[in-house]
Amino acid sequence: MIETGIPKLDEYLGGGIPEGKSLLFSISPEAEESNIGIHVLHHNLEKGKTCVYIVSKSSPKQIEQSFREFGWDLKKYYEQLHIVDGYSRLIGAPSDEEFVIFEPHDILSYEDVMDEVLETLPENTVFVFDSLSTIMDLCGEREALQGIYRINEGIGRKGGVAIYNFTFWPYNESVMYRIKRGFDSIVEIKPITSEALRGQEYHVSKVGWGGEEGKRVMFKIYRPGGIKIYIPKIVVMGPFRSGKTTFIRALSERFTSVDRLGATIAIEHGTVDYGGYRADIFGIPGQERFSPLVEKMGLSASGIMIVVDSSKRDAMEEVIEMVNKIRNKNIPYVIVANKQDLPGAMSEYEIKEKVGDATVVKTVATEGKGVFDAFKTLAEKIIEKGGPNAG
Amino acid sequence: MLVRTGIDRLDELLKGGIPAVTNTLLYAPPFIGKDTILKHFVLSGLEEGEPVIFVLTDKSFSETREEMKKMDKNFIDHENEGKVKYIDVYSKGVELQEEGQNVIFVDSPINRERITASIISTEREFAKKYKRHRLILDSLSTLIVYSDAKAVFRFLQVVSGTCKRLGATSIFSMTRGMHEEIEVQTIKHLMDGVIEMREEGSRMQIRVQGCGEVVSRNWIDYLLEKDEIKLTGAFRMSRVA
Repeated sequence: MIETGIPKLDEYLGGGIPEGKSLLFSISPEAEESNIGIHVLHHNLEKGKTCVYIVSKSSPKQIEQSFREFGWDLKKYYEQLHIVDGYSRLIGAPSDEEFVIFEPHDILSYEDVMDEVLETLPENTVFVFDSLSTIMDLCGEREALQGIYRINEGIGRKGGVAIYNFTFWPYNESVMYRIKRGFDSIVEIKPITSEALRGQEYHVSKVGWGGEEGKRVMFKIYRPGGIKIYIPKIVVMGPFRSGKTTFIRALSERFTSVDRLGATIAIEHGTVDYGGYRADIFGIPGQERFSPLVEKMGLSASGIMIVVDSSKRDAMEEVIEMVNKIRNKNIPYVIVANKQDLPGAMSEYEIKEKVGDATVVKTVATEGKGVFDAFKTLAEKIIEKGGPNAG
Repeated sequence: MLVRTGIDRLDELLKGGIPAVTNTLLYAPPFIGKDTILKHFVLSGLEEGEPVIFVLTDKSFSETREEMKKMDKNFIDHENEGKVKYIDVYSKGVELQEEGQNVIFVDSPINRERITASIISTEREFAKKYKRHRLILDSLSTLIVYSDAKAVFRFLQVVSGTCKRLGATSIFSMTRGMHEEIEVQTIKHLMDGVIEMREEGSRMQIRVQGCGEVVSRNWIDYLLEKDEIKLTGAFRMSRVA
């Protein structure tokens, strides 16, 4: 299996792309980013694979800049990465790349060069094309597709994997039909542009080898950073002095808080980047007078973490009340059983017994223990539910 | 709702201007005033408080800025107020070392994905603050030469739609004489109107098709003087075709 490295996608593909197969990223022309393949390319270079990058719509030099923007160092992969230059001849510029398409308007020229590439390079190579739509526009739609399918067969015979960026401009239906049939798997990329959210969504629309079709995940592309699943609003709540601020601080790479004598008096905000997820986290102070905030913030959240001081049995009533409200709204949540290091701390089981069926994760926020498990557990629940609320 | 082109008698011919939030093709041979029309369109927009996006395939953004400054010394003030943005699809391709605040560079005219994304992100920014803005794309011809008319047609289908959705009144330029008739017809098909210019012997003429209600759809003589276009032909008496 060749991994894509895109968060959650490999899981939906059943582990990745089997050797010999093809994957098409079918990208909306209105999406922010048309080069999704470059992320798969980088992931596989990082894994030590031999990779080939076929460029048709921009100068091969552009890849250096793209890598730099994402915070990756292209030089590290000098020996593994091979470039097929389908661009320079198009604008009449010289090329110093290893492989050059001499007639970029002729798909046969691509086929010839790809034959040579396949003979030269080892088996199980990863091929990333940027992009199929450009090749179609240059070589003619039907001719290009026929040629590309022959190229895919060649790659398949050598156990390689072919990955394509494809911008779905308004091509006519028969072309789209051929494309849908011609690739082993298709992942569609569309922009999301509600008022509250800006990002993109991938939709696993075809998996020819038995993965999970139909999954949709919202993501953002960060520079530096790359592709992350973005969760706009995780709310952390819990009784007074249960350790919410410490918990958020332990999770966050950026953090703002307003403390007065150890108690938090305003909403605090942190950004978490972990396990392919990036989320904005908001902490609601635990004092009585903020309970309207709990209603207002909490019930519009993508997910909720209820932080509990595991040594305080008498605060559980408040927790149970919170859990009941959340359950009614069908918002994913986890209970963070914090302060597990204190004597007499309630066990997971004891908490579950008190609040009923719930996911409980044990933490010691002062030592950073378990905090990322709690985050990831909630993040997975949000994605399973079908992603964050757009509003 | 009409937006002025900034050329008085052309606005008269158009009964006040181009309908707001539409797409117009400016189809003209080189050197007979196409740039002048584009520049007036930009300046008249800025005067009326509408910000402007330049999508440039044939010259750098700094060259464009210099030309605009020559025509109107207030131009740079508008730019400093954040009302002028450039999408420069020229400089990087010819390896010019250009830098700038209000500019997004696209490395190649073949990279229509990047051009589209740059246009959309800039328009969204404008749409947040302003009810309407203007966009000029100069020129479609370069995009077509680097790939083909069908591909550019599909690109325009997407871009012209987004422009309308986000409040742009747009002019797309195309050079007469560079294209097959079928290519021109294909592109016209996507536009709400066409302003055409031609040279007939020693006369220069302009004609409007579509663009809402107009006084005349006949060819009208004009004179080109420095940065001014003066329609000299009579059109008041002629009948609307």
